[in-house]
Order: sequence, then structure tokens, then C-alpha cells
Amino acid sequence: MQATLGNSARGGENARRVLRFLLDWAAIITLVLCFIIFTLVKGSSFMSENNMINILRAMSITTVFGIAATVTMAPDGFDMSACTLASCSSYVFVSMYLWYGLPLWLCIVVTIGVTLIMYQLTMFLILVCKIPDMLATCALMFVHQGLGQWYIGGGAVSTGMRLPNGSAPARTALSDSFSAIGRAPWIIIIMLACVLLAYIFLEYTKHGRFIYAMGGNRQAAKLSGINIKGYRYLAGMITAVFIAVGGILVASRGSSAQVMGADNYLMQSLAAVFVGRSVGGAEKPNALGTLVGAMLVSTLENGLTILAVPYYMLPAVKGAVLALALIAAYAGKREQ
Amino acid sequence: MDKLTLEARNVSIEFPGVKALTDVSFQVSTGEIRAVVGANGAGKSTLMKILSGVNPDYKGQIYLNGNPIELRTAMAAKRHGIQIVYQEVDTALVPTLSVAENVLLSNMVMDVRNPIVRWNRLRREARAILERLHINVNVRRLVQNLTLAQKQMVLIAKAIASKCSFLILDEPTAPLSDTETAELFRLVKHLQATENIAIIFISHRINEVTQICERYTVMRNGEIVDTSPITPNTTTREIVEKMLGRTFEEIFTKDKVTIGEKVFEVSHLSGADGKVNDVSFYVRKGEIVGIAGLVGAGKSELCKTIFGAYRRTAGTLTLNGKPIRIDNPTHAVKHRIALVPEERRKEGVLVNENVTFNLSAACLGKFCTASFINRGKTDANARNYVQNLGIATPSIRQVVKNLSGGNQQKVVVGKWLAADCDLYIFDEPTKGVDVGAKQDIFRLINDITKQGNSAIYASCENAELLSITDRIYVLYDGRVMAELITANTNEDEIMHYAVGSNTMYA
Repeated sequence: MQATLGNSARGGENARRVLRFLLDWAAIITLVLCFIIFTLVKGSSFMSENNMINILRAMSITTVFGIAATVTMAPDGFDMSACTLASCSSYVFVSMYLWYGLPLWLCIVVTIGVTLIMYQLTMFLILVCKIPDMLATCALMFVHQGLGQWYIGGGAVSTGMRLPNGSAPARTALSDSFSAIGRAPWIIIIMLACVLLAYIFLEYTKHGRFIYAMGGNRQAAKLSGINIKGYRYLAGMITAVFIAVGGILVASRGSSAQVMGADNYLMQSLAAVFVGRSVGGAEKPNALGTLVGAMLVSTLENGLTILAVPYYMLPAVKGAVLALALIAAYAGKREQ
Repeated sequence: MDKLTLEARNVSIEFPGVKALTDVSFQVSTGEIRAVVGANGAGKSTLMKILSGVNPDYKGQIYLNGNPIELRTAMAAKRHGIQIVYQEVDTALVPTLSVAENVLLSNMVMDVRNPIVRWNRLRREARAILERLHINVNVRRLVQNLTLAQKQMVLIAKAIASKCSFLILDEPTAPLSDTETAELFRLVKHLQATENIAIIFISHRINEVTQICERYTVMRNGEIVDTSPITPNTTTREIVEKMLGRTFEEIFTKDKVTIGEKVFEVSHLSGADGKVNDVSFYVRKGEIVGIAGLVGAGKSELCKTIFGAYRRTAGTLTLNGKPIRIDNPTHAVKHRIALVPEERRKEGVLVNENVTFNLSAACLGKFCTASFINRGKTDANARNYVQNLGIATPSIRQVVKNLSGGNQQKVVVGKWLAADCDLYIFDEPTKGVDVGAKQDIFRLINDITKQGNSAIYASCENAELLSITDRIYVLYDGRVMAELITANTNEDEIMHYAVGSNTMYA
């Protein structure tokens, strides 16, 4: 009797461990399964070098915004306005290049600088006015949209268009290096660099660990002597840099700054972070997990398109994958 | 190693509504394990919070080795080497980080030179500290996956990893099992033998105090009444008597109620993640049954398991002779059972709603005409209960959070009275309630039973149980230790069983 009890208890323990393992690696397992299934069904039209590059290119912008969201969410923050701010960054980037004829490197620097300045407002509302992140950034979404469109005069910034005040632009065409930023291999290299930088920062610097500490338990972090406001601010500034990079990629890829051109990336970038949260049992937003999450969404989109699933069905599939990933992350939690 | 002495001289503190400390002088030196005991609200936690810098508004002076120090912030206390491990370990740990990081978090903050985390070194150092304390936990695991006992160990290791001369353990054993408690005591003894450290041990379990402490300090009503060494001759009863004092008397004369048939019976109930073990008891018509036990004995868990708010793993419930199934609070309410929970602000009232709405919230259906709330009926109901219960409120439209604790509690009770239940479960209904309101609440519960309803009354205030109940079950570690007839028992006997004594009370 005693022995059977022991065995069944051990059996339950093993089953739980296997389940835990499956849940922890659910995103990766799904990703591998996707690759296997799409390859089996479509063979070389899916599993080819060109198509792999397609997938990487398609996921890169989402990944960069996902990394921005990862850094914000690590200290338990949230930013609904990241992508509306990125639209502003892209207006600044293209207008600096076309309207004012600045060299490309200076355009990038100015864009990052302006985005950092704009992010002071976000930090002011959150840290000084103490508005919850979600509410503050909801309000800022509209502020960004309005300010950005006021700056560009309500229309897109692209080649051959005049300035809002009627004067002629300094440049009439985009250079090859401008366009190269938005094409493979550069866009992929930039994405990987962002992931690597965020990974090193969050995993291997004290500052990253402190940011995670305040995300896990703000009170305990404070009582361990961590300057929690300072680190929330630092996380915000790093987020702003990634937002600016994302805005630059969007502009370069679209060869122009379209009105609200980056706004739509918000939900998928958040989805990537949520999917990536539980990868490998990390239980917190992390850079590699976000990469996996973005890759999963992008692979699904790519594979299903090759399978000739109508484009209007894709959001439903993406939503279902997100829901499954969240089930994996929250199933098996103990009741409170 | 030099001996360090921490001394508080004539420390006082006042806050509205809570018993304050008056002129407390307390001294402890490294190398000793000191117990601080006292009834609920005696001021133990308040004193410890002052020493750990969380109660900055104290009067009086604190000295370290004779030098005056200021303990106005938690960081200041830590700098002076005073560390506290609260019973709620989760408030002090970061669940999403590894054991190694949690143990060394403060040290990482202090070390300003190295921005890069060297994971191997970090883990090695954490492992060394854990090994030094003979704590067996994998440093790579996330804290959220540890058991409560392991979290406590990690927290102690965290305290030791930074400067720690005075370690306060606030009721550390309350949530632990017997084996886990033994392991904790081993660690405490080990610390005493190997580190230059004083351990201040707060516990309600007197048998544990006599087991590992050398001296004990008794607090009562915000004062220190005694500090004595523990000798082989020190008895549990002696300490309990000092804790209770002889002046502590609560006068409430209960009206006689005729007690009828058994209406509700619980047999072999287990659940609440192991905090309720094989509990059996019954309640008769018109009876008030007390559930006694110290903090952490499982009283709240028992109430909530009966009510279906915690998961039941074994046992049956019988109402009026028929077996019933309660898997969630909705079932319980359908069977006309009400729970007045302990954490009223969190669980009992809608603090941002007004008195009228709260008083009708448990049975809104009664006040509706075709799904629309009938304001006239809810107002009449509110006026009725405000008057009958003596709820002190300027108007029935007053928002509940602006009422005093006692009046909020009356609103919670009134809410369930309006629902017309047969069995009322009260979980610490007088917690944080002043003496006047206590009498009102007693009167109310007495009146409920006069109308033929029954009540279960869980409390750690034994004097209250003696004045209001008919029978008392004493819990320890989630088990029933004894069933006592209120008329034939006394506080000493309840305490005897509540501290886990297996012997019969003489």
C-alpha cells in the first residue's frame, strides 16, 4: 500500500515535470512544428534560403518594437504609445533627409535625439505625475498622433512632395544607403543587433537585473537599496532608442514616412513579448523570448500565405497563437 | 568578535485606532536568541517595525553600543545591521529572479564598480553563503518555484549576506510544518553558534519559545511587562499567564438562547492547500460555536474551506441532515450560509460604494422590480439596519471607506443579515474594532441566534470566545485539538491546546 502510494505520487510528480517542460518550451516547440509541417506540405517553396530571408525580414520591425516593449515591461511598465511615437520618429527621419538634406548618419542621430526628448513627456506623466503606465500612454497615443501630423502638415513625407510651408525639399530622391537600411541583409542585422544589445543589457549587467528585480517585486527591490525611479527612467530611455530605430526601419522599408505608418505594429510587438515571456521558464519579458515570439508570428504568416490561406484570415490565426501562448504561460498557476 | 548591543530606551508610538507603545525599553545583545511574546495587539510587531525602520514616527531613543542611532527608514536599519524576516516572505523576495540574485541583491547594489554580472561568480558566492548556513536550495531556481519554507531560508540567507547583527524573525514558524520548523530551528542555532548575531524570535507558539530561546520578553497592551531567562523550570502556563495578565477582562453578558437540533455538520474536512486537516465538528440550532487557535492555526482557512472559497480535498458537509456540496461560494450562499470575512476592506465591503448599496449587495434580487433596483426598498433596508446595528454614519449615502473600522464591520454584518441566512460564519469579526463596537457586534450575533439561526465564530481573542460562544473547538496546525464547553473552560485551557500541547489540561 505504502509503495503504490509512493509510486503514484512520483508518477504525478513526473507528469507535472513533463507538463511544465512542455509549457516552458511551448513557443519553441510550436515554431519547430510549424517549420516541419510547412516543409512537409510545401517543400522547397517554404524551406528555401530566399523564403527564410523573407521570414527574417518580415519579422524584423516587429522584433525591434518587441524589444522596446520588453525593456519597458521588464520593470513592470507598459507603453501603449510606443508605435505612435515611432510614427513620429519616422516623420522626423524622412523629413530631415528629404526636406533639410542632412547626411544619413545625422538624420539617424537627430531622430534618436528627438524620440528621447519626446519620451521625457512619457516619463514625466509616469514618474512625476504618478499616472499608471497604461493610462498615461493611452493619452499620449493621441498626443503623438496630433503632434506628428502637425509637424508633417497632415500628409505623408515622401519624395517629390513639398514642405508644408510650400518651399522645395532639399533632396528629391532617396539614396541607395537610405533604402538599404530597410532591405536584407541590413534590416536583419539591425534587428539581431537590437536583440543582442537588449539581451546583454538585461541578462549580463547589474542594471538589467535591478530592472527585473523591480519588475518582480517593487517593494523588495526598493528595500534592497535599488533606486527604482532611476531604473524606470533608464528603462524608458532605452525603450525610446529602440522605438526610434523601429521608426527608422519602418520609414526606410516604406521609402517614405506614411501617416501613422508604424501605429499598427503595437499589437504584434506586444504579442511577441507575451509569447516570449514564458520561453525556457524565464517567466519575465526577455529579449530572446521576444525574438522567438516574433519569429513564430512571422513564420505562421509566411507559411499560411504560401498555403494560400486568405490574407483576411491571418489575424484570426495570429490571435489564436497568442491565446495559446498565454494559456501556456498562465495554465498551471496555483489558485490564489 | 565584539559583542554588539541594541537598546531602545523609553520608546513610544501612537497611531489612531491601534494600540500604541508606551515607554518601552528593550535591550538585546549578539550571541543570544531572544523571544518576544504577547497576545494579539500587544505591540510586538509595532516594536519590531520600529527597530527595522518601518515605523519612523516613534519617540524615544535607540542606541547601538551606547551610541544613539536613528532608525527612521528601512535602509537606515539595514545599515546598522538590523534585518527583519516577515511572516509574509513574498513581500521581500523577487519571485521572477533566481535564488542567487535574491540572496545577493543588496550586495549587488552596494558593489558600484562592476556593471557586468558575472553569473558564475554570483552563483558561487550565493552557493557559499547557503552552504555556510547548511541550506540546501539550488541557486539557479526561480524563487517563485520554491516552497514557503525554502523562501524563508533564502530570505534569512539574504539577511546574512549583507551586514546582519540583529535578525528579527517575525512569527517564522506560523506557516511551517513540523519538519520545516525543526529545520528552521537548526538554522537558528547554527547562526547563533557561528555568527556574531542576536536573533529576536517572535512567536505565538510558547512551546517553541521554550525550546530554542534563552530569554523571553513579554509584552502586553503596548508595554513590556517582563523579561526573564528560560530555565528548565519555565512552564508554558507561566508565560501564558504573563501574556494575558489578570486585568484583561471583557464584559459581555450573553442572553440565553434555547439550543436545538444539529443543523450543520462537517466531517473529516481537509483542504486549503493542507492548512485544514481532517476537521470534524457540528453546529446546533441557535448555537454559537467558537473556533479558537493562534494566528496561523488555520481558522480563516477552515472558514473559507467550508464556504467553498478554498479548495476542499476531503470531507463532507451536512446541512439539516442532508449531505450538501459546496464547491464555491455561490453554492454556499444558495444553502443560506454567509461568511463575514476577516479582511473586510479586501473581501467584505465595497469600500467605494455607499452604505445603502453595501447593505443590499448580498441580496439585490430582493430589492428589484423586474431587474431594476427599487431605490425606495434599498433605502428602507439601509435605514432599518443603520438604526438596528447602530452604524454611525452621517447618511445612508455615505461612502463606506469613510466610516471607522467598527462601523465598516457592522456594514458587513448587516449586509448578510439582510440576506436572511441560516448559518453565519464570522472570521475575526472584531479585528481592529474598538471596545464599544465590539459590544454592538456581540449583541448582533447574539440576536441572530435568538431568531433560531446559528453561528460559527472564529477568533484568536480567547476572552471574546468565552463571552460569546456556547462551545469551542481549538485548532492547532489545521487540526482540532479539543472540543470545550464554554461554561466549563477558561483562557488557560484554550491556550493550553492552542499552543499544540498533546496532553490533557489538568
